[in-house]
Amino acid sequence: MEFPFAAKVNSEEETARLAGEFSELLQGGEIVALNGDLGAGKTSFIKHLLRNFEIDNVSSPTFAIVNEYQGSLKVNHFDFYRINKVEELYDIGFEEYLTREDTLTFIEWADLLPEVLPSKRIEISFVVNDDFSREISFKNIS
Amino acid sequence: MNVLGIESSCDETSVAVIRDGKLTSNLISSQDFHVKYGGVVPELSSRAHLQIIIPLLKDSLVQAGIGLKDVDVVCATAGPGLIGALLVGLTFGKSLAYSLNKPFIPVNHIEGHIFSGFLMDEKPEFPYLALVVSGGHTLLLIVKSDTEIIKLGTTVDDAAGEAFDKVAKMLGLGYPGGPKIQKAASLGDPEKIHFPVANLKNPYDFSFSGLKTAVLRYLQQTYGKDKAVPDGDMPDIAASFQKAVIKALMQNVEKALKEYKVNSVSLVGGVAANRALREALAQVASKYRKKLVIPDFVYCGDNAAMIAYRGSRLFANGNKYSLDYNAFPGLSSKTFAG
Repeated sequence: MEFPFAAKVNSEEETARLAGEFSELLQGGEIVALNGDLGAGKTSFIKHLLRNFEIDNVSSPTFAIVNEYQGSLKVNHFDFYRINKVEELYDIGFEEYLTREDTLTFIEWADLLPEVLPSKRIEISFVVNDDFSREISFKNIS
Repeated sequence: MNVLGIESSCDETSVAVIRDGKLTSNLISSQDFHVKYGGVVPELSSRAHLQIIIPLLKDSLVQAGIGLKDVDVVCATAGPGLIGALLVGLTFGKSLAYSLNKPFIPVNHIEGHIFSGFLMDEKPEFPYLALVVSGGHTLLLIVKSDTEIIKLGTTVDDAAGEAFDKVAKMLGLGYPGGPKIQKAASLGDPEKIHFPVANLKNPYDFSFSGLKTAVLRYLQQTYGKDKAVPDGDMPDIAASFQKAVIKALMQNVEKALKEYKVNSVSLVGGVAANRALREALAQVASKYRKKLVIPDFVYCGDNAAMIAYRGSRLFANGNKYSLDYNAFPGLSSKTFAG
């Protein structure tokens, strides 16, 4: 997979395969921002992806704001959906989370607070097509 | 004996006092206190907890009719929750216990909910089946005693309350989703649309992400992408969605009642405020001839009364904790469920 990259997926299985492919590029320390509407498949994608790192307890971080997992590497799984203001994010120590260099970080609904995103990151966007297939595109931002 | 409870795991700050086994005060920040203690409080701010916790403590003690020096045990939520929010109540509680030279009891927030039925006059009888449904958690458990809890299942993706919030958002009903969906659903036909209930590897687990997607798919197919739902169709969609959530919950409750011998069933957590869910569980409980305990609304949401109660039991059972006890944000560490 080379960025920018885009694929159309028609099923959960295809999403899982794409997530698996993408996971091979990750070593820890990356920041991955995920954007897309409710039900577009952001959490699902992460769930499939993290199976490759021996993590199988991924659930939605919407309520908790951040879930932490430990598998073959450390993962922070953020969700900005419920955040109203940047201050709230700083309040839970967002900056400290990002300083952990060996940790893989996911941020769902990242586009809600673009000002806090690190300048170097991978962005994945999810678009639901009319026939309910998904357009998943990846790009590198640096 | 006077037990002080402190809760600050998420949006609400709360302080409660239990005097000789009787709840004498339970003040919760979301209930009028924002106005009293200074304007609008941001939803997810540990600063908000900080600002309000001392006035809440003072008022709570006054209401209970005791002074600070009369407090015998201090209990505070240690997790799960938002780390910044948790630390406020936990550190405050520990400092208070230290300065008063009284024992400190850290309490698991979910265990607080699980035992919240004991705040009622009609209490659950061990062993009982507990269904915890809130914005952040969906759990089915067998509670054998004060000290033995067996987790049967949990959500593999979204919590039940989260599904309500997100579907309400898709329908354009606004926040908070639970009451909005309930209101719309009360006028609708729950049989109108068939939304699926997930089948999972562990028969006691729950999944609501697929249901959320099914609603999205239905909206997109019926109205086209990004189009508003006509007001007239709202009630049927809300009712059909609500029915699917309740069906998923009741299915597992029934499975558990067939498999395990229990005396009572208890529904706890914020989503326990949903009327249709309460009615559905009442039917299941009566079918299996189990005593049903659903706490009053004020004990369903986050509150310190349940923290004080749970802490008082931990204390009564002889548990001791040191003051370096740390907050734990996740459900997976230091919990019964881990």
